[in-house]
Amino acid sequence: MKTAFRQFKALVKLSFLELWRRNDIFALVLLGLALMVPLSMASPFGADGASRYLDEAALLLVWGFSLFIALGSGQRLLAPEFEARTIYPLLAKPISRGRLLFGKYLGALAASWSALAFFYVLFVGSVLLRGGAFAAELPQALALHFAFIALAVAVSLLGSLLMSASANCALSSIVLVGMFFFGRRLPEYADGLNPALAWLVKAVYAIAPHAEFFDMRQRLVHGWGAVGWPVFAAVLCYALVYIAVLLGLASLALRRRRL
Amino acid sequence: MQGIGNGKRQICYNIGAMNDGNTLLGPKGQRQSPGTGDSAVRIEGVVREFASVKAVDGLSLALAPGEIMGFLGTNGAGKTTTIKMIIGLLRPSAGKVSVFGGDPSDPAVRARVGYMPEVATYYPYLNARELLAFYGGICGLDAKLVKTRTDELLESVGLSEAAKRPLKTYSKGMLQRAGIAQALLNDPDLLVLDEPFTGLDPLARIHFRELLRSLREKGKAVFFSSHELGETELLCDRVAIMKHGHCVYQGAVKDLAGDGGSNLERLFLKTLEEAK
Repeated sequence: MKTAFRQFKALVKLSFLELWRRNDIFALVLLGLALMVPLSMASPFGADGASRYLDEAALLLVWGFSLFIALGSGQRLLAPEFEARTIYPLLAKPISRGRLLFGKYLGALAASWSALAFFYVLFVGSVLLRGGAFAAELPQALALHFAFIALAVAVSLLGSLLMSASANCALSSIVLVGMFFFGRRLPEYADGLNPALAWLVKAVYAIAPHAEFFDMRQRLVHGWGAVGWPVFAAVLCYALVYIAVLLGLASLALRRRRL
Repeated sequence: MQGIGNGKRQICYNIGAMNDGNTLLGPKGQRQSPGTGDSAVRIEGVVREFASVKAVDGLSLALAPGEIMGFLGTNGAGKTTTIKMIIGLLRPSAGKVSVFGGDPSDPAVRARVGYMPEVATYYPYLNARELLAFYGGICGLDAKLVKTRTDELLESVGLSEAAKRPLKTYSKGMLQRAGIAQALLNDPDLLVLDEPFTGLDPLARIHFRELLRSLREKGKAVFFSSHELGETELLCDRVAIMKHGHCVYQGAVKDLAGDGGSNLERLFLKTLEEAK
């Protein structure tokens, strides 16, 4: 137990150091600051509607940046270990592949969550500075967003073991962003298609990760209230099960990978 | 039995073919039977296939504690594949590899093994101290012990002054020394090294040679592959030579002495020539 804890701690720390010492994360943070601060603080039209529009845009940026970081973190978990050949001394140590994979996942999760928390601190801080108040929906929205990031890291991790870095980033982004914006419309879209295509679209709807389940931006910005706790719990369970399946497949892929 | 040299030499060719893997040349060249539990490494009739290619074919050898064994051969001879089987990264297609009597992929066995790969670009955003702290954590070592070991190892591989520099600023030789340090971090009983002399300057080679000798004195087993015949001859108790997946020679280095010059180089060339 103590050994497992030390191994996880080492892997989490490695992911943190990688995230914060890479120049791209600092560029991203600066970009986030540059875009979010004026977006959240300015109210150029002096109207509530415009202010809400700016809040919504700022939240969309938070989603975009955090997804970008999550996909990058997931991609960088194991693929660079193979490229740099550090996977060999790592797996020669007394750590199982399953534990290595899970520890790496925890590390990427911690790093991505820290970046997401940073973005939300910026967002909430700007809202409070403007004289706004905490929305009652905020805890739920945060929890679901953090769950979505955990899902995105798992998607990217599995993809990194099956395809090249560029293909994985492109495919993971397309699937997650596509589902985020169009996921809820897929069933009605399928109804207008011929049976074969409709079956295909419905299959995609059944299999693809439902990013849209985790999106509470509208409720947060327009004050529509929290979702029911059973729904909230069901979405979290969905995320947990989906992540478990993805990590299981990733573990299988890592075991079968030729070293 | 096919041999070279005079009667004093107990050197044989292709031991796997000679004895069907049932008898092994043990430490210092003596015969051993499979099942002797005191070997650091025991390889018995191992075959490893990739698709239709046999990377290793019928290899048998044993390495005892307190022994240094050089593993020689041309490129593609099966050295790295054998090393990967010893450290548990690959499983043999046939035959058996055991380390300290156990399965090399067992974490409890791997806790007693140190491994350095031929080429590894260690995490460029870490410094040497952080690298060793990371590997110490992966080994499940206590943080205080890791710190003590790190200080000792950085000193012994000559990286103390560069310990806080990011690894991306290191030369190839310095990375190699960092690799040696990470392999020794858990104070392994068996050290497996893939081309350890690559990139080391002459002074570092001397220090590294002394380091390996001191490990041997402490009863540690060292198994390394190399193309550096001079270093191998200076350091090893025994050598094995691979060609096209077959072990074509195993023998004690001391038996080569006496002719002057590089006996191992001559033996290496002769063995490969005769094994055609």
